[in-house]
Amino acid sequence: MKFLHLLLWLGRRDWALREVRVTLLAVLVAVATVATIGLFADQLQRSVMASGSQFLAADRQLRGSQPMAEDWLKDSATLGLRHAAMVRFSSMLFADQHLQLASVKAVGSAYPLAGQVTVRDTPSGPVRRLAHGPAPGKLWVDARLLPLLHINVGDSVQVGQASFKVAAILVQEPDAGLSMLGLAPRVLMNLDDVAATGVIQPGSRVAYVDFFSGSDPQLSRFHDWLKTRLRPDQRWIGVKEGRPAVSRTIDRAERFLMLGGSLAVLMALVAIAVASRQYAIRQLDTVALLKTFGLTQARINRLYLGRLASWTLIGTGGGLLLALPLWFALAQLAKRWITTPLAWSLNPVALWPAAVTAVVALFAFALPPIVRLRKVPAMRVLRSLPGVDLVGIVPDVTLALLAMVALIALYARNLWLVAALLGGLAALLLLLVLIGWGLANLLSRVGQGGGTWRLALIGMRRHRRALLSQVAVVGLTMMLVGTLYLVRTSLLQSWQRQLPAEAPNEFLVNIAPDAVPQVRRFLDQNNLSASHLYPMVRGRLTEINGKPVRQVVSDANEVEALNRELNLTWMEKLPADNKLVEGRWWRTGITDEVSVEQRLAEKLGLHPGDRVTFVIGAQQLTATVASIRSVDWESMRPNFYVAFPPGALADYPATWITSFYLPHAQRLLLDRFNREFPTITVLDIAHLINRIHDIVGQITQAVEALLVMILAAALLVVIAVLGATLPERQREGALLRTLGARRATLVRSTLLEFALIGAMAGLAGVAAAEGAVWLLQYRLFSGTFEWHLGLWLVLPVLSALLMAVVGRLQLKPVLTVSPMLLLRQLE
Amino acid sequence: MNERYSDTPDGALLQASELTHQVVVEQHTLTILQGVNLEIKAGESVAIVGRSGSGKTTLLGLLAGLDVPSEGTVILAGSELTRLSEDERATLRSRYVGFVFQSFQLLPALTALENVQLPLELRGDKDAEKRARQLLERVGLGDRLSHRPRQLSGGEQQRVAIARAFASDPRILFADEPTGNLDTETGAEIVELLMTLNREEGTTLVLVTHDTQLAARCSRQLRMEAGRLGAVPVEVSA
Ligand SMILES: Nc1ncnc2c1ncn2[C@@H]1O[C@H](COP(=O)(O)OP(=O)(O)OP(=O)(O)O)[C@@H](O)[C@H]1O
Ligand SMILES: [Mg+2]
Repeated sequence: MKFLHLLLWLGRRDWALREVRVTLLAVLVAVATVATIGLFADQLQRSVMASGSQFLAADRQLRGSQPMAEDWLKDSATLGLRHAAMVRFSSMLFADQHLQLASVKAVGSAYPLAGQVTVRDTPSGPVRRLAHGPAPGKLWVDARLLPLLHINVGDSVQVGQASFKVAAILVQEPDAGLSMLGLAPRVLMNLDDVAATGVIQPGSRVAYVDFFSGSDPQLSRFHDWLKTRLRPDQRWIGVKEGRPAVSRTIDRAERFLMLGGSLAVLMALVAIAVASRQYAIRQLDTVALLKTFGLTQARINRLYLGRLASWTLIGTGGGLLLALPLWFALAQLAKRWITTPLAWSLNPVALWPAAVTAVVALFAFALPPIVRLRKVPAMRVLRSLPGVDLVGIVPDVTLALLAMVALIALYARNLWLVAALLGGLAALLLLLVLIGWGLANLLSRVGQGGGTWRLALIGMRRHRRALLSQVAVVGLTMMLVGTLYLVRTSLLQSWQRQLPAEAPNEFLVNIAPDAVPQVRRFLDQNNLSASHLYPMVRGRLTEINGKPVRQVVSDANEVEALNRELNLTWMEKLPADNKLVEGRWWRTGITDEVSVEQRLAEKLGLHPGDRVTFVIGAQQLTATVASIRSVDWESMRPNFYVAFPPGALADYPATWITSFYLPHAQRLLLDRFNREFPTITVLDIAHLINRIHDIVGQITQAVEALLVMILAAALLVVIAVLGATLPERQREGALLRTLGARRATLVRSTLLEFALIGAMAGLAGVAAAEGAVWLLQYRLFSGTFEWHLGLWLVLPVLSALLMAVVGRLQLKPVLTVSPMLLLRQLE
Repeated sequence: MNERYSDTPDGALLQASELTHQVVVEQHTLTILQGVNLEIKAGESVAIVGRSGSGKTTLLGLLAGLDVPSEGTVILAGSELTRLSEDERATLRSRYVGFVFQSFQLLPALTALENVQLPLELRGDKDAEKRARQLLERVGLGDRLSHRPRQLSGGEQQRVAIARAFASDPRILFADEPTGNLDTETGAEIVELLMTLNREEGTTLVLVTHDTQLAARCSRQLRMEAGRLGAVPVEVSA
């Protein structure tokens, strides 16, 4: 109690000390930034998960080739999860003498758990959105099926042994995806009718999909329980797995947020280190005095540790409080794309890194010099002694570096980020050493006299001890600004590349060979720029170097490409957005070679020279892997795992596929297209594209807002740290004025001095930023590095200007008040 | 005077014998004090005078237990300082000792009142503020309570420092050139104040000074000369 009272008493008085305010401000900034970003990233994650419902027809899917165990359903129900079932299989449809293979989805009554099924009553009728599947005895069929089977809505169709009435035309179901491309026409039916058809026999190829929806904790609890029980054929699918394009967008944004957060923390840590050392130096006399009062070392230690602890508490509490409105503002910016109303639930888990930041920041950066205070000899009150060394370079720097690495690692959970930032810091340190050395040389040669330049340089020499730490802090800020700016720019560019305004939003699938010229003509006539038309042959990979794939690839069940037919194509040239990773492209005339996509090749362990065998229909085809290529999966163009040279697949039945951008105003064309080409499937992914556009747009806004926030915080910290020499400068200014220095000279030399500091710091900062960005681009954002010459010019100038303004502001009281008053009032 | 001061066997509150202090500066051993003996009785006021550099401040630091001598012993209020650890010496100081410095040593961030309050708060005194207020009134600064040191003149600052020194009710007060930074008249006021408190509180005074006026007001004067205490102290009767 007494101790608390004392701490409170001292704490209130400490508040008058600039160093204490700077330290607290720095902790506040660090905690608020980490907490805001933590909360925002958490919400982003959850929003994406929630938005998954619109892409997956539920929050999660469990896919397998066998039915899910009965009791799992009970468990999921106990947890409060909602469930819907679906069985997917291929079957022949009969109508009179016509027959057609179709891809059938039989859905339970709860389907879809999220999103809507779009249907039409007639091929050209208006669309209706329904929150359920077909009733028993009814079929909803792909528009393509009508001409193929020569039927109309209302007619009967036979599936296996059961007869159904075609009740509507299926336009789109919420879980329709690109992986369904090229499948036979789709049919939706009721799950209860499946038994009657007798289609599913032991050994038939059937996919079982179980849909689950519920709250996050419910879902993750179920998943935790499920994880160890999953059969090899079963996969738990969230938005990440189901919609890589969306999740990659978010991932990038998250990385950027973490980078920003890490940099802000770094900044705050340096401020804390500088301020706490100033504090410790200022406390030297106080500690000696306390010793004359009879305080033991242990008590002195307790007093200061108590203060550190109270700063931690105040900094954390204040930072968290500050984070809430900031998070709210950020989330407001990003809110529009979250259509599922999100509860403003505060996830405490997202906050603990912030608290850890405060503790680590204060105890790793501020503790060492403060702990050494108790060694101050009491005799110091009677005579100024050399004093104690408050800084132990080796232990302090080691501790600081360790803490920094640990914090960023904990926070960003990304070693490359840590490495890149440390690399940038190392570059900065190196430059600072060089600058320090150069300055020492330069300043030692400055002679006497009164020119502006000379006064500025003399000023720098007078403050040379504070100078380097100021250049360091400003340099670090400039590094932060530079890095964030560069990464942000490349982030926005990559998003733009990924989704240009005219990204293809319609896929045409199943184009018969003889329809290709007509489709081309249709697109040309309507000024629709289509990507290349690719032929597509469906085949299954069966052997690698003569051995069955399932023997060669240990986790064959995990490799999705092996569990389904692959879309094989042929191409003459490497598409512009593909890159050759290994091997070489084929020469014209060669037909027995094949090119494999990089990630698939990695999973299968394929390299150029390996021989692969495909089964296409009933025939086998063997070819040698000639090249491995990377594919831009984010482009909304048709992409293929496996490509052959022209002619290799000439003997197999092929259909063509393409994608194009359809402006919203021209959407009516779709109906005309459907009428003209009834057998071609139009896969409309406009809603998906729009969604990603939305997400990118909103996240971009949030990222920009965050950038501004971090920069403002950084500026605050810089000004705070710069204030370290404020009293000294003001006293000097006053002194110079009493000695008769002209105002103008004083102003000009001070401006020059600060501008020089700023320019040096800007230069060091931009160099360090390039270093960090080089590492970041290389590993984290997978872009290519280039020099940013503009920044080399802009940043030093900006930094010089900024510093000049700060310097001018510091000088203000010196110029306006009488020197006498100043000498008296300044400490 | 009263039994409060009779706890040392021979009536001496402070006793130093054969004090020698040496420091090593760049491989040379510098002897600052050599064979200093002295005895100060409770209630006395003793002035240590001498040329600059003769070792007065060093001696004061050793007597107060702020530093330890190379050789010799110091006994303060019955405890042999030279045998105690730094913390034990600190505890002893907290009970018996007060200080006044040439450069005042007020904390610039605290007001006059808070500066006086500080030692009281540190020892957990419940009436810290009230007592600090009384002390400041007593040194004539009752109307300057909320002023910070830099808003006070040197003499006022020293009065705050004296109030602070007396806040802990010390049995012995050490002062190193308490008037050194003050003009003669202000110095005289400070001397007057110290003497009054010495009389009224019965506090023993040990002060180092160049100020002959101040020295003359003390009951005894000791002269330091090149690290030795003058064999025959110059007695100037007051
Ligand atoms: N720690 C130390 N290291 C080196 N020399 C010291 C140390 N302490 C004291 N001295 C030297 O010892 C001598 C006596 O110093 P001291 O401060 O005790 O003198 P003083 O009598 O108080 O002088 P003044 O009247 O000027 O205050 C001086 O020459 C001083 O430089
Ligand atoms: Mg002295």
